[in-house]
Amino acid sequence: MNAVLREMEATTAPLSVSGLVHCYEGSNVLTGVDLTLEPGSVLGLIGRNGAGKSTLLRIMLGLLQPLAGEALVFGKPALKLDDAAKARIAYVPQQPEALAWLTAQQMLDFVGRFYPRWDAAFARRMLERWQIAPNKLLAKLSPGERQRVDLIRALASQPELLVLDEPAAALDPVARRELLREVALRAGESGTTVLFSTHIVSDLERVASEIAFLHQGKLLMRCSVDETKEHYARLWLPARMSAAAPAPALSRRRHDDGSLSLVVERDAHGQWPEAAKLPGARVDALGLEDLFVEIAE
Amino acid sequence: MDASLLTVQPAAPEPIYRQIVEQLRRLIAGGQLAAGDSLPSVRDVAGFHAINPMTVSRAYGIAESEGLLERQRGKGMVVAGTHKTTQAASHRLALLEPQLQALVRQTRELELPAEPVLRRLTKLLGE
Repeated sequence: MNAVLREMEATTAPLSVSGLVHCYEGSNVLTGVDLTLEPGSVLGLIGRNGAGKSTLLRIMLGLLQPLAGEALVFGKPALKLDDAAKARIAYVPQQPEALAWLTAQQMLDFVGRFYPRWDAAFARRMLERWQIAPNKLLAKLSPGERQRVDLIRALASQPELLVLDEPAAALDPVARRELLREVALRAGESGTTVLFSTHIVSDLERVASEIAFLHQGKLLMRCSVDETKEHYARLWLPARMSAAAPAPALSRRRHDDGSLSLVVERDAHGQWPEAAKLPGARVDALGLEDLFVEIAE
Repeated sequence: MDASLLTVQPAAPEPIYRQIVEQLRRLIAGGQLAAGDSLPSVRDVAGFHAINPMTVSRAYGIAESEGLLERQRGKGMVVAGTHKTTQAASHRLALLEPQLQALVRQTRELELPAEPVLRRLTKLLGE
């Protein structure tokens, strides 16, 4: 019986949403989002400012009720999580505001009691490393420092599911690299499932196993980082050949001189569309950032 | 070998696992890594470069299946035995193929005939 239960635990997606629709004051933010996270995966969510990334994360965790659709955390409705489920999750919002009347040390001591696997030594070490005065009131810290304290809180709880909203915003390059290292090693060694939103694409390329691309309320793309790099490229066609452009393309841009840029995909045999072989055509490999810009523009 | 010997460019169009395999291939073909040399653990490489350990495992797995590396009990990954590492000239030449193709493409874009390019290349190689 226990073995069956364990098996179910292992195969239940930490996060899963379907058919999410949400809007603020009449303007649509999410228009039908489906997304499932496999255990142990590191999913990077990218999208432009205002694309609805934070809204999506909040709905996924049950912090916001969507207009329509379903959100599950470890297989249970996100809006009705019990304390045991909450102890397995850590979420760091972009602007943490909770418990501002405590000092960093008091807050960490306080919340540590709610987590069965709290790592107090790690919390102490990181406060020192990230140069946070332990006895200063949270309310008196800068927004960047507040988010760093919250990241320490999240990591010290050793969660099974870690959700970070733009974690890079508050960190300098050295601290950012340290955070990425923590995220990468925990995912690889403890099987922590990680979901983080960012617009710093190179962070995502380091640690993410998958990316999801939120654009105009929908997930445009959801695939592994390596595959994305290998399967998509930019095809440039001079004006005189633009009629030969393949119809299915992720994005299509006509330049002032009549030439065309398209984002194209390899077919099932690993071949680029026929037009790529025309004389004068060019296929350029794309990094994720270029791909993002091509598609989001 | 130390994890710092590898360089990782996350923003490059080439996936990180391929960058690692490619560098191992070159380090071994060029003799910087000799048969029997230990490789850093997956954790060391992932930690040093702040990359996903699965990416490193994947790279090591491919290098192992290509015969560049072998798994040794108690020692982890090591560079495979000499018969495999001293590679044929044709094999080493194949490593240059992408650069050669890029050269050809750019030669055509610049509308240069082959002759002066080959002359220049011969001179550079002779130096």
